[in-house]
Amino acid sequence: MHLLSRYLLLFLSICACCVCTCAGTLYAQDSAGIAVHGFVSQGFLFSSHNNYLSMKSSDGSLQWTDGAVTISDSLGDNLHVGVQLHMYQLGEFGGSNLQVDWASGDYRVNDHFGIRAGKVKTVWGLFNDSQDIDAVFLWILLPQGSYPIDHKSFYLAHVGGDIYGALFLGKRAGTLHYAGYAGQSTVDLNDGYIKQFAEIGLVFTDSLGGKTYGGDLQWETPVKGLTIGSSGNVQALDGTAPTGSVHLPPTFTPSTYAKFSRGKFYLAGEYDREPINATITIGSTVIPFVVDGRSWFVMGSYRVSKKFQAGSYYSHYVNKAADTTQPANYSKDWVLSGRYDFNPYFYAKIESHFLHGTSLGYYASTNPNGLAPDSKMLAAKIGFTF
Amino acid sequence: MSKTRFLILLLASLGSWSASRAQDVVLVANKGVQISEITNADLRAIFLGTRTRFADGSHAVPVTLKGGPVHEVFLKSHVSESPEEFRSEWRKVVFTGQGAMPKAFDSESDLIEYVAATPGAVGYVSRISSQDRVKVLAAVK
Repeated sequence: MHLLSRYLLLFLSICACCVCTCAGTLYAQDSAGIAVHGFVSQGFLFSSHNNYLSMKSSDGSLQWTDGAVTISDSLGDNLHVGVQLHMYQLGEFGGSNLQVDWASGDYRVNDHFGIRAGKVKTVWGLFNDSQDIDAVFLWILLPQGSYPIDHKSFYLAHVGGDIYGALFLGKRAGTLHYAGYAGQSTVDLNDGYIKQFAEIGLVFTDSLGGKTYGGDLQWETPVKGLTIGSSGNVQALDGTAPTGSVHLPPTFTPSTYAKFSRGKFYLAGEYDREPINATITIGSTVIPFVVDGRSWFVMGSYRVSKKFQAGSYYSHYVNKAADTTQPANYSKDWVLSGRYDFNPYFYAKIESHFLHGTSLGYYASTNPNGLAPDSKMLAAKIGFTF
Repeated sequence: MSKTRFLILLLASLGSWSASRAQDVVLVANKGVQISEITNADLRAIFLGTRTRFADGSHAVPVTLKGGPVHEVFLKSHVSESPEEFRSEWRKVVFTGQGAMPKAFDSESDLIEYVAATPGAVGYVSRISSQDRVKVLAAVK
């Protein structure tokens, strides 16, 4: 049995034992303040053309598994500590290694000011900090123009410190939530960027990393259900490989978003920009790497019943630094999704993608015969969370 | 079907609809909590984790039921969320390391027991026979 499958089987067995023996506390296993939560999911992807996300999806692929366990404890009214261990397999990405998703201490001075330190998920846009938590979303794949699943380690978390809080402005002005952070972030060796570098002859054996800082401001408006926000992240990146190096100077990536949720309806939209001006050195050759990524999406969903939710989104990405008429420089995706919750713990999702363009999610090593400009995809997932 | 039977059926269904719509929710808090009323805005903020204190500055500990009509009516009336949305919001908080889920109980008696024993605890039940162990809070808009 593949090593990853053995770990997953063990993890699922532990989960099943916990749920069966502690039926009275089905939200978590709680012993003297310690809370244990977890999730595991298995996905399937089929694509009509091209192989997507390093999976052999044109034949149908089950190489899409992930799971995490969270252990946390509240040490008094104001202090909370915890750790989340995560493993995943997405095509050729991930592997059997357990990674620390986050591990932090959180001291909440009051409702207006708190401090978090350690390895902390990075708040940016609507979904950056939660993008790898399949259990909380209707969608199987978030809009890839804004949240590329194969590049998530670049933005997902940082080691450093955060401040956060809320300012209550009154019934007529709503609530302002803020977060700010500074630290160091690392690109995992199993990330899509590392694979793309390898495809051009730059094989990294040590993780890339750099300083990062930024913040998020979110306004819960007096209009019931409407939230508007904006984030900014500055990220630098450096890495050295036996045959060369990559250097990204501090780069500012802004995001502006809004969401509206009322009753059974949910609507959201986001606009992001990712201007990259990096330098790749291979041997004595210096290659400028310039991308002006502009992405936006709009999404909506409707809760048909307590157990079933359906929705759709359009995701649009272009690289404005190149010829945007060429499929290699854009990615436009129409998506239809459905989620069925069998109970509070087990769920299933199904999703169709009508993908135009090849700018995101494709790798030369899994598409040796080149790429068709358009592809239709069917994704399915089952998951368990507690 | 005769008109009489139809009318009886119609009235019966209206009655059951009225009964389900009239599910009572009583807010209960630990006897040490000083406030006697709480706004829906404060309830929403406390039960979604944005606020950890009551209006008087004292610490608030929200507790919930795990499910059922009382849980559903409380969330819809005072937190403006469905049970599914509420669960999803808290799972996001937990799995991003931003906090811990409120304690949840299978039964109203267990919830009352916990609220009575925990300073700052606030929860909800369908009815309360006496205020010896916990106090009742009034919800205001």
